[in-house]
Amino acid sequence: MDHRFGYVIGDLVANVALGALVGLLCWLIVGPSWNMWIAMFLMMAVGSFLGLVSFFITARWLGAMEAMVPMMLTGELTGMVVGMAVPMMPFTAMQGLIWGAACGAASMVIIWIANALLKGVTRDGRDMQNG
Amino acid sequence: MADAVTQAKWDKLAPRFDSMASAGAEKRWAPAKSALFAEMEGKVLFLALGTGLDIPFFPKGLSITALDISPKMIEHAQERIAAYDGTIETHVMDVHDMAFDEGSFDMVVTSCTFCSVPRPIEGLKALHRVLKPGGRLLMFEHTGSRWYPFRYMMNLMTLITRKLGPDMNRPTVANVRAAGFRVTEVRNVFLDVVKTIKAVKAPA
Repeated sequence: MDHRFGYVIGDLVANVALGALVGLLCWLIVGPSWNMWIAMFLMMAVGSFLGLVSFFITARWLGAMEAMVPMMLTGELTGMVVGMAVPMMPFTAMQGLIWGAACGAASMVIIWIANALLKGVTRDGRDMQNG
Repeated sequence: MADAVTQAKWDKLAPRFDSMASAGAEKRWAPAKSALFAEMEGKVLFLALGTGLDIPFFPKGLSITALDISPKMIEHAQERIAAYDGTIETHVMDVHDMAFDEGSFDMVVTSCTFCSVPRPIEGLKALHRVLKPGGRLLMFEHTGSRWYPFRYMMNLMTLITRKLGPDMNRPTVANVRAAGFRVTEVRNVFLDVVKTIKAVKAPA
């Protein structure tokens, strides 16, 4: 991860806010009678799209890939989790916000762990098939 | 002869390129770019210069030949070129069709270039041609990813970004190897989607 404090906080705040927004949208869009799987896939697509839009807004401050990848992941993860949860149980707007924010924070943790594992010198590039 | 479609795309983007690219990405990538560009030495070919956002990371006192396909980009780079403590000679040129003799340069350096070159392996072969035997290629590039879900995201993003400028899912390390270079180091800067690549042209 980027250890510069401003970026750590900026990444976290941006993804928590996006997650909360997508969580709230899931609550607004998905009805309790919806098929769980349809709700999940639809909200994953909506969340990914919102992540993409948010990237164009935040990239100016947070960087390019470092903004895009976590925000798309946050949108997708929040759409999956909250989109599936709304038809399964009684669900409030506040729960949508909180669950979404938690998904945003979880996405950022996933990115930090993945980055810690992948960052640095690879073996002569021989293992790079898609990069 | 420059590829007119690519040239028009980057000319159109030139006036607002700094506002899109500089504040976030350049500050975030500054440590990795500074470390890579510190290795620049000898007769250097740099591409693509763009609006010159990379110039502040160049070591002082070098004599650099810099290319860009877009004359508008080079126009916007003039202030940064003038501020550089060394020499930067610019050319509007397509990497696929460079007017340099074989073995003209000791080193070729690229920065976020091969996400946008229309025929990347051919472009890299052209760089291979203008490098001296034993010459080095240094690249700072963003690429596709090996890993789900990042690979899927890069593929999805490319559908949109290709219309504006770069591809997000290029297999650049494999392309470098396919162009005849020996890859000596790949260092991931962010996940496996932003990286520095070092390669060498085989000695004669």
